[in-house]
Amino acid sequence: MATAPNKSNAFHLLDPKVLASIANLELVAKAVVEGFVIGLHRSPKFGFSQEFVEYRAYGEGDDPRYIDWNVFARTGKTYIKRFLGETNSHLMLMLDASASMGFGSRGLTKLQAGKILAASLAYMASRQHDAVGVMIFADEILEYRPPASRAGSLQGVIHTLDKAEAQKGTALDKPMTRFQEHIKRRGLVAVISDFYCDTEELLENVRPLAMQGQDVILLHLLDPAELEPDIKQSTLYEDMETGHAIEVSPTYMKKEYRERIRAHIAAIEKAARGMNADHVLVNTGEPLERALHSYLTFREKRG
Amino acid sequence: MGLITPLFLLGFLSLALPWWLHRLETQTTEREKFSTTRFLEPSKKRIHVQRKLKFLLLMAARMAFLALLALAFARPILFKSADAVVTEETVHHMIVVDTSFSMRADGKFEAALAQARDIVNSMADDDIASLYAASSSVRTVAEPTSNADTLLTRIATLSPDKGHLDLGQMIGALDGLMEKNQTEIAMHLIGDFQQTSAAARFADMIPDVIAGRPLTLDVRQVSPQPIPNVAVESVIVESRNLVLASARAWNQPDEEREYTLTLSINGEQVQQQTIRHTGNGVFSARFPEVEFAPGDNRVDVRVTPGDALPDDDLRHAVFDNSPPAPVLLLTENAESLGVTYISAALATAPRGYQVEPVDVRDFDPRIMQRYPWLVIEDIGTITGNLEAAVRDYVNGGGSVFAAAGSRTNGLSSLPVLGNSLNGPQLGPDGRPIHLDISRIDNSHPVLRRNSGWGSVNARVLRPTLTEEDRVLVAQNSDNPVLIERRIGNGRLLFFTAALDNSTSDLPVKPVFVSFMAEVARYLSNEQLLVKEQIVDSYLQLAQTGGASGQVIDPDGESLLSLQDTTRAQDVPLNKTGYYQVFTPGGEVLVAVNADPRESDPTPMTAQALQNWQNAVNGAATSANATLVVDPLSREAEPDAIEIWRIFLILLALLVLVESLLGNRYLNIKTGSL
Repeated sequence: MATAPNKSNAFHLLDPKVLASIANLELVAKAVVEGFVIGLHRSPKFGFSQEFVEYRAYGEGDDPRYIDWNVFARTGKTYIKRFLGETNSHLMLMLDASASMGFGSRGLTKLQAGKILAASLAYMASRQHDAVGVMIFADEILEYRPPASRAGSLQGVIHTLDKAEAQKGTALDKPMTRFQEHIKRRGLVAVISDFYCDTEELLENVRPLAMQGQDVILLHLLDPAELEPDIKQSTLYEDMETGHAIEVSPTYMKKEYRERIRAHIAAIEKAARGMNADHVLVNTGEPLERALHSYLTFREKRG
Repeated sequence: MGLITPLFLLGFLSLALPWWLHRLETQTTEREKFSTTRFLEPSKKRIHVQRKLKFLLLMAARMAFLALLALAFARPILFKSADAVVTEETVHHMIVVDTSFSMRADGKFEAALAQARDIVNSMADDDIASLYAASSSVRTVAEPTSNADTLLTRIATLSPDKGHLDLGQMIGALDGLMEKNQTEIAMHLIGDFQQTSAAARFADMIPDVIAGRPLTLDVRQVSPQPIPNVAVESVIVESRNLVLASARAWNQPDEEREYTLTLSINGEQVQQQTIRHTGNGVFSARFPEVEFAPGDNRVDVRVTPGDALPDDDLRHAVFDNSPPAPVLLLTENAESLGVTYISAALATAPRGYQVEPVDVRDFDPRIMQRYPWLVIEDIGTITGNLEAAVRDYVNGGGSVFAAAGSRTNGLSSLPVLGNSLNGPQLGPDGRPIHLDISRIDNSHPVLRRNSGWGSVNARVLRPTLTEEDRVLVAQNSDNPVLIERRIGNGRLLFFTAALDNSTSDLPVKPVFVSFMAEVARYLSNEQLLVKEQIVDSYLQLAQTGGASGQVIDPDGESLLSLQDTTRAQDVPLNKTGYYQVFTPGGEVLVAVNADPRESDPTPMTAQALQNWQNAVNGAATSANATLVVDPLSREAEPDAIEIWRIFLILLALLVLVESLLGNRYLNIKTGSL
């Protein structure tokens, strides 16, 4: 077992710039989660202990390692053990890999931040024996890996996340339709995106998930330069998805743009609330602690 | 220079420079990638346009500056629309002034110009006139216009040249100029009208276009009476030290005069003779014991006292006193009859050649490169490495004259050329037979001046011809006697029989000497440079080894650009004197004299001129031509005004504007920092 890092180091590891410099996404995820956990007060509800709670009938997707073979020998039925803090739910990570996610002003793109966040969530979920799946999407599904909690599935998820590259535009309809077709079991869905789409489109695509009983959390990733741009002179901005260029003035970016982006965030948040989903704004220039906190809160609420 | 010349177009390309620079300037607005532009709005247009306008003004000033600079160098012409409107009453006066050599005689040309001015001054208000200079060619001096001042100005620019006027050719050229006219034409011909300028056929002096429109011919002879003249007609060098000069006088029949003929060699007077001559006719002088420098010599003979036409009192000639040129002869036996025949023929050629026989068995092929051409007595002796060396030599631009001797007889294919051999044609008794020459290609330089090939007998080997072979002489049954093949940059002439009088009697026929002389001139590339020419003829420069040559005219001006010196071309000779021609083969002098027909002052008789006018005017009347003039048509060509000076003034103004705009822009930039 690796030596636990001290607290300051652990928080240092949550700094996005530091994380971006670590090439191995699994290591990053582990560092983030370990660092994060060390910073938490131990809580049974948030716990990662191995304290036995109950038996539950084995279901598809469950890790066979947790089948209690003694019970099987006695009863001829497969049961798996449940532990304290274990929710035994599915976590589906949906990572937006559209071209706009390739934007980053401080050495870390939103996609990189999204990967780290997704990998951390996957790592965290796997520690809680949750089945983890991943879907990389842009205007269509680029990669899909169904939820699983078997040995090696975490590495599979991380590998899938690792090779994602920013491309094309954003469209939620295809990924969501596909998700609804394949995932029937209730679980958690974390959509990691910059959500540069119409609010109506978001509602239209995410609402069926909520209706299906999925617990949805929207992790809304935005770069500091998107939230509070600060330019000194007129700049010709080229849209990373459409290539369309617009020359804007510093005055506009300081006032009107910020108002517009705040309105958009508020609209997304409102839409999320309307379909009983959580919305977390993640500033990629800040440590991921808040996002992980939000996830655990969300998991606690829904779990 | 015109507007479509490459240099002008190149200059115009420079307009791209300010555009490019300003394009960079406009890129000072930083271009950055952004995740989405859905929340962005363009800057207010007012700011954007104002900024661009400042740049555009500066850019426009700079582009206009470069455009004007290019235009100024192109020296464009602005055409001012003519003020003449053609009506049914309009008469087009075509004023043609003789500017040939004979018009240089005292007083003739001034009288012709006065006549031309009289015609212009007597034009009716509706009339238009055009002006032409006629000599070896017809040159348009002024397009049709009703502006008398323009015409008088152009008349003042005329001057006599040194060409020869042929009235038939002149009328032919004017025919072409008249075709586009729709008015009545009055053709005024002004000149001395020598008998020697009359066309060989009288019909050639009648314009072809008169059947289509009214035309009157007005011939104005400026010097009806013959003026005395004397001219040096010929200068010949014989026996390498004797100069024969002949002159012709046109005087009163019983008038006795004393003439002095002075010989100068390379600018130095060497001998003088005084001759008394009575009346018209030729008189000559012999200048013995003349010493010439090696190479080309300038031989000038002047006759004195001078006369009204002094330019023909001096005649130029060139004598080539070069030592005989060496010619390499490859043979197996330097004492053979073939070597004797070839050596004798080439030694007696006008240029003089010194044959150097070399035994093929002791021959070092590297020596070939020293000679522009060589003779192979028997191509059958060229084998092995030597065959490859000869092929390389020809490929590289060398020339070869080869014959088929006894060694070739036994071969199945020709060395160097590669043609298969069929042997001599046999008669019914199985013995080789002689056939008559049936075909001679007189268009080829080596055969152009030869006659007597018809009597040549030859028992030829019959090579199978390829597409590259050109048959110059052939027998009955199409047996080739003389063929030429170009190989790479060189050529090979092949005589299909022997040159030792064994299988061909060509070496003992009179034609052999002149044939070998022409072969030598052709293969050594001397054939194109005729060293004595008359004015307005052309010097033919052949291309040899990637260069043709440079020509310096009698005034010391180079006539060809550096690029032109690499191309074969014809160079016009329009001055009298010596042209220096620098060719890959060395320096050559070409003497240029005026056409001797221009020296004959005998004018056409008044009756002949009257007949000519009557013939033209009568034909025009009988044609019953009716004139239909489009009332809206504007006949007169516009006047040309050179506007490049205006461009220079605009350029100066633009420099000022550009500086002001540039400074203003710089101030703005400085203030923003």
